[in-house]
Amino acid sequence: MPDARDVIIVGGGHNGLVTAFYLAKAGYKPLVLERRAQPGGAAITEEFHPGFRCSILAHAAGPLRPDVVRDMQLVKHGLTIITPEVGVVALSPDGRALILHNDREKAAQEIGKFSQKDASKYPEFQKSLAKVGKVIADALALTPPNIDSPSRGDLWGMLKTARSVRNLGKKDLYRLLRWGPMAAADLVAEYFETELLRATIAARGIFGTFLGPWSAGSALVLLVRSAGDSHPAGSACFAQGGMGSITQAMAAAATQAGAEIRSNADVIEIRVKNGAATGVVLSTGEEINAKAVISNADPKRTLLKLVDPVHLSPDFVMKLQHYRMPGTVAKVNLALSGLPEFTALNGSPESTLSGRIHIGPEIDYLERAFDESKYGNFSKHPYLEIAIPSVTDPSLAPPGKHVMSIYVQYAPYKLKGSDWDSQRVALGDTVVRTLAQYAPKLPELISSHQIITPQDLEDTYGLTGGPHLPR
Amino acid sequence: MASANSKYDVVVIGGGHNGLVNAAYLARAGKKVLVLERRHVLGGAACTEEIFPGFKFSVCSYVVSLLRPEIIRDLDLPRHGLEILPLDGTFTPMPSGDYLWRVNDHGKTHREIARHSKVDAEAYDEFGKAMQAMCRFVKPILSMVPPDPATMNPKELMKLLFIGRRFQGMTSDDKYNQVQLMTMSAIDFLDQWFETDVLKATMSASGIIGTFLGVRSPGTAYVLLHHYMGEIDGAFRSWGFARGGTGAISNAIADAARESGVEIRTQAAIAQIMVKGGRARGVVLANGDEIYADVVSSSVDPRLTFVKMIEKEHLPAEFLEEINRYKFRGSSGKVNLALDALPNFKAMPGPGAHLRGAISISPSVEYMERAYDDAKYGNFSRRPYIDMVIPTLTDPSVAPPGKHILSCFVQYAPYKLRPGLNWDDQKEAFGNNVINTIAEYAPNIKDIILFKQVVTPLDLEREWGLTEGNIFQGELSLEQLFFLRPVPGYAQFRTPIKNLYMCGSATHPGGGIMGGPGRLAALEILKDVKGTA
Repeated sequence: MPDARDVIIVGGGHNGLVTAFYLAKAGYKPLVLERRAQPGGAAITEEFHPGFRCSILAHAAGPLRPDVVRDMQLVKHGLTIITPEVGVVALSPDGRALILHNDREKAAQEIGKFSQKDASKYPEFQKSLAKVGKVIADALALTPPNIDSPSRGDLWGMLKTARSVRNLGKKDLYRLLRWGPMAAADLVAEYFETELLRATIAARGIFGTFLGPWSAGSALVLLVRSAGDSHPAGSACFAQGGMGSITQAMAAAATQAGAEIRSNADVIEIRVKNGAATGVVLSTGEEINAKAVISNADPKRTLLKLVDPVHLSPDFVMKLQHYRMPGTVAKVNLALSGLPEFTALNGSPESTLSGRIHIGPEIDYLERAFDESKYGNFSKHPYLEIAIPSVTDPSLAPPGKHVMSIYVQYAPYKLKGSDWDSQRVALGDTVVRTLAQYAPKLPELISSHQIITPQDLEDTYGLTGGPHLPR
Repeated sequence: MASANSKYDVVVIGGGHNGLVNAAYLARAGKKVLVLERRHVLGGAACTEEIFPGFKFSVCSYVVSLLRPEIIRDLDLPRHGLEILPLDGTFTPMPSGDYLWRVNDHGKTHREIARHSKVDAEAYDEFGKAMQAMCRFVKPILSMVPPDPATMNPKELMKLLFIGRRFQGMTSDDKYNQVQLMTMSAIDFLDQWFETDVLKATMSASGIIGTFLGVRSPGTAYVLLHHYMGEIDGAFRSWGFARGGTGAISNAIADAARESGVEIRTQAAIAQIMVKGGRARGVVLANGDEIYADVVSSSVDPRLTFVKMIEKEHLPAEFLEEINRYKFRGSSGKVNLALDALPNFKAMPGPGAHLRGAISISPSVEYMERAYDDAKYGNFSRRPYIDMVIPTLTDPSVAPPGKHILSCFVQYAPYKLRPGLNWDDQKEAFGNNVINTIAEYAPNIKDIILFKQVVTPLDLEREWGLTEGNIFQGELSLEQLFFLRPVPGYAQFRTPIKNLYMCGSATHPGGGIMGGPGRLAALEILKDVKGTA
């Protein structure tokens, strides 16, 4: 029998790599097993057309925890974060654009072109988001407590959270309590009157979720995202060389700390004996024993596919089957022969396109996009979240050319009366048609495209139900 | 006793069921109380009116189950004429000609659900047990004054601790269920239990009543529970009619109040609440009469109380901002029909026991959700959710012999229609649309209507003083419940103005013919004025 490893980590996505790093740091010898040719999970850079590379799935670095960046010394391991001056530019079909700079004052100035009242409210909103978001950030840094029988550590963590909640002060405490269960559409309406601004901020509460802006709870998503980044509409944050650079740096950090990473190692089973995990089996038949197995794959794949259900209580299996992870996002990547001209940005400098581009001009537009997905159709007028990373990182495309990375929402994993193979082209067409309303000449610039449906996300990237992507 | 220039210890604004309960409790404690009602009938939305000769409509609220048992007991309401007649079951006809008919008889319901799905029939029993456990957790909360989470007052912290302890006292499964109930949508919650679409659809309906949410909107699972809590004679989950119509409940409470010495005046609209030096002094009626009182207790909603009846300068700007933010967004209407005969349902022709319970037009989850989609964009639902009862089958006294009443609760009817439409113009179309919808299931309906009364959200606002037509005086959404109802920091029935209190459905524990707010507010008022009498 081969030697038992300390720890096996199933899946080399960013969470698997971070786990491997911290365990290696603590003196363990973790082995990361990645099914695909390169680690990185949903944070990968690939060449999808000769000379054109982009972040195939997730395209913007979300709120990467600063302690992780520091501990792993990601910058030393080759990570360069690009923070363009423009966070988001929101386009409206009437030819107007709302340019939200990362800088609060500048953003307020641009908002002032739409509404002075909104401009004056914006900094106040941001401050409240930052304060309330901080409490949520503290809670996010904890292992969730076991609500059934909290351990002493759980109680301590909850107590700390409770204290930071109470330290908010009466006004912000009430805000936290009231905002949590609200709809993002209601929350933004309490502060702003400009529809385009409302929609752009509310979009943060629905991105990657099966919620519309009128769904209760979408305000909480907005707050959770604000925990890492208090810009109301979110800032832009890219990695030089695409998202793959983040996971490459993580892999390097983990390896240096003593972890081993094996690619093309597809785990097909987690072995269990007497209620304890004893190792894994690869698709090649190879068996690797370990004292502990940690899975970076989603819970359904981990516990319903990799573990034989006989090892689990039927009650637990049932609960797990109810774990909701409906996919709502598709991805379209375009190779462009030039930089597209957006009608609303006529005359603006190229740097205006350096951040994220938001298409979803009204709350109702976003809600209607959501409505269709409830009945198993993809949105005819989808909400698009776009980046043209080659504007700030020319290494991604040949000189003068560009890559455009587009999140498409809503694209439900389960289509009614159809399947994604037959709808793939229609989805691509819908996206290009939607974009053409804002950049009429864009279709002529497309040299190639890549369409990643929720089905592809599951089949190729192992994301059950094609679930939401990180941002 | 009332002080020298006050005629009354307390004047209660509004003679709805909460105002009356409030007055009755105060009078029983020896206070001299006056109730002022704007309309000619008492009861607010819990009223019975003879709109068409011989037919006594429960114009707005039409069934009862949430009325707090301690109120029935304390005020001895049966002696004052209250009689609740049980409403047995829910009949849900389907367009396919099939139906789902759940009744209080356990065995029958089990067999009926098994006809659709054997698994669901088993799960239904388990579900009932789980919900009872949830209800047991929530019930005491309904009878408590909400704690203020922002204070350090040890008494308030004890209340929070009490809730925490009760939570820890539940079984593991129940705890998780409770957490899910507070955060999930009705459908997501029901999906975990059942597979039959019509069963989920019709059960989810109670999750949306009185809210501007759809069955798939998170937060609706809680409203489901709120309605599940119905209790008649100690039996969970039973709904009933009041003999003589819903107004009979208000009349019984009014009778109990009068017996304790409460004076009640109808057609006494209030123009203003008098405030001087940060204290409420009394009220001014629309006819100019001034009535002085040591305490003013308002059972009307916060918009009316603080925006319409009090001058701005008496209130902190921040408080007013919160009040203006408080969401009403009425989403339902009512259609009351006087019938020459009984409706004949295609799914189960002829008269029968299925007509004695609730009849629910909620044939599928998609039907319910599409009804909501219409409303989101400012239209009444093309095919609405309808909850109907025929009270005459249980209580023939409310109509001439052989005739019937069909009382239809209709959702969605958004108060705010899309630009260009208004309710006065849409009223007729709305009513006809409801009848057309019913006709798809009971085609004879059009031939048997003697009279039709349509109540739009605008009517609810104008006639019953329910702002934006919300039947619960404000949405029952999580951010407006418990210590957040109606606004944070003022959930304990007190207001920024001394001696002015709130006692209506806009306060904890919220709407429905529950009486909880009226009673709890009375107890708080008595705490404050103790010793000053």
